[in-house]
Amino acid sequence: MPDGKPTMAASRQIRGPVRSFARFISLEFLLLIPFLVFLGLFEVYPILNMAFRSLFDLEGNFTLQNYINAFTKPQFQIAIRNSLLFATAASLVGGIGGTFVAAVAVRLPARWRNLLLSLYALPMTLSGLVVAFAFIVLLGRNGVLNLLVRRAFGLPPTVYFNLYDWPGIVMVYAFFQIPLMTLSMAAVFENLDPNLVEAARNLGARPWQVWRHVVIPVLLPGFLAGMSIQFAGMMGAFGTVLALVGMAKNLLSLQIYSHSSESTYNLPQAGALAVVLIAITAAGLALLGWSARRLARRGT
Amino acid sequence: MIRRILFVLLVLYIVVPLLMPVIFSFSVFWQDILPQGFTLDWYRAILSRPANYRALLVSLTVASGAVLLNVLITVPAAYVLNRAGPGWGQRLREGATILPLLFPPLIVGTALLQAFARPPLALTGTLWMVIIAHAILGFPFILRIVLATFQTIDERTLSEAAASLGATFWQRMRYVLIPNVMPGILSGALLVFAISMGEFEVTSMVAGFTAQTLPLRLFQQIRNDMRIASAITAFLIYVSFLSFLLMTYLGARARRLRA
Repeated sequence: MPDGKPTMAASRQIRGPVRSFARFISLEFLLLIPFLVFLGLFEVYPILNMAFRSLFDLEGNFTLQNYINAFTKPQFQIAIRNSLLFATAASLVGGIGGTFVAAVAVRLPARWRNLLLSLYALPMTLSGLVVAFAFIVLLGRNGVLNLLVRRAFGLPPTVYFNLYDWPGIVMVYAFFQIPLMTLSMAAVFENLDPNLVEAARNLGARPWQVWRHVVIPVLLPGFLAGMSIQFAGMMGAFGTVLALVGMAKNLLSLQIYSHSSESTYNLPQAGALAVVLIAITAAGLALLGWSARRLARRGT
Repeated sequence: MIRRILFVLLVLYIVVPLLMPVIFSFSVFWQDILPQGFTLDWYRAILSRPANYRALLVSLTVASGAVLLNVLITVPAAYVLNRAGPGWGQRLREGATILPLLFPPLIVGTALLQAFARPPLALTGTLWMVIIAHAILGFPFILRIVLATFQTIDERTLSEAAASLGATFWQRMRYVLIPNVMPGILSGALLVFAISMGEFEVTSMVAGFTAQTLPLRLFQQIRNDMRIASAITAFLIYVSFLSFLLMTYLGARARRLRA
């Protein structure tokens, strides 16, 4: 095992990934093995296995039918379209809302800011069911807010905010997405050097010019990174929708869920849909990553 | 003034929805704008009904198991990943952050369900499967926190200083590193615990009937009995809230000690 100061100093002179890797085949590397084995056996292998089995039908014959179904059956076409629209809408709501909250948070006194950011870390661990329940009580057909508004304006009981349609579902997910974005953007805003803004102002830049040429270029990479997390999370989301409307809404995630654990049980089909979902998520992440890199290169 | 109003509104945005199940769980009756009466009956129902009580025990077992597994596996890995150089080390660190994005809980659930359905590893439907699934979902969170802690305490310099004073690998671990990283490990453990206690998506796919956790009971009760559902919901909110209170305390203490 490389130990003590002389070895460390000597090894630092050696460069290159191969050498650095060789140095790690030591006791320290052994500490990484349980982690790699665990991830390999319980995350990578199951997913590869699922992708492989999606190429066979229920009798075990090789087929591409599961993938053809994914793109030709109306039920799945609608699910893919809905998932894309839903994930984009929920990410935008979360992204814009979270950026706003973070912008407010960094302007608050330290004590308030810390309190606010701790509070906004809370939804991260909350069950989708907990949040669904909370919003049913608050905004369900006879939820507290709906009752209050109806009483206040003397409206009939047919008037209510519909929690069980797309806008309602996006709003409930915003309870997860806005805080998540707040946490990543708060770190980005803290890295924004006030001297930079000051300098731009002193050089005679107008407020919109400061935003256009100074603030936005600094914030954008962090914003896009946050959006990746938002989009990926929303593509796979289904717990809260399931609790709110059951299978009444058609999402790719819900189709995968129902094909792997409900009456429509068909695991190879679920696997093919899961591969499609991974591919869409990967494409979304690649697009966001590419824009961030492009912007970084252009420097504005 | 505007700042103060905005602050209050932003606090209310999180607090008001979360107060709803809490108020519901203590009320005898809530059909109108204001709830009526005060009762602890719905909480009693968690403890007195065998199915609910069993679910509580299963949840606690699973969460503890997932935490233990992650502390044993992810913390040593974080130590190595922090020391690994910019080449493959960086690639591994990036991989560990992109993995949970590409493979959301839904995908992990479906994949685990298929991979371990038959011997030699017929784990689907067992408690083990649920623990493993929760450990997989929790690892990015604990890894990130522990990795960040290793970076803030500047583990390399610390280790080199200890080594130059003649400390062996195990002595460095025992007296220098572990005490310094403990707040990070505890925070990560609390986060994994809280996430596991509330996890519904993957659990509902891999658990079957033997490993019914509290959130699975909650899913059934939302349709059957809103009052018991409210007590379970409120209980899960308390678990998250307490975990974050402890994590905030640990974070503040660590900052104070370093200062």
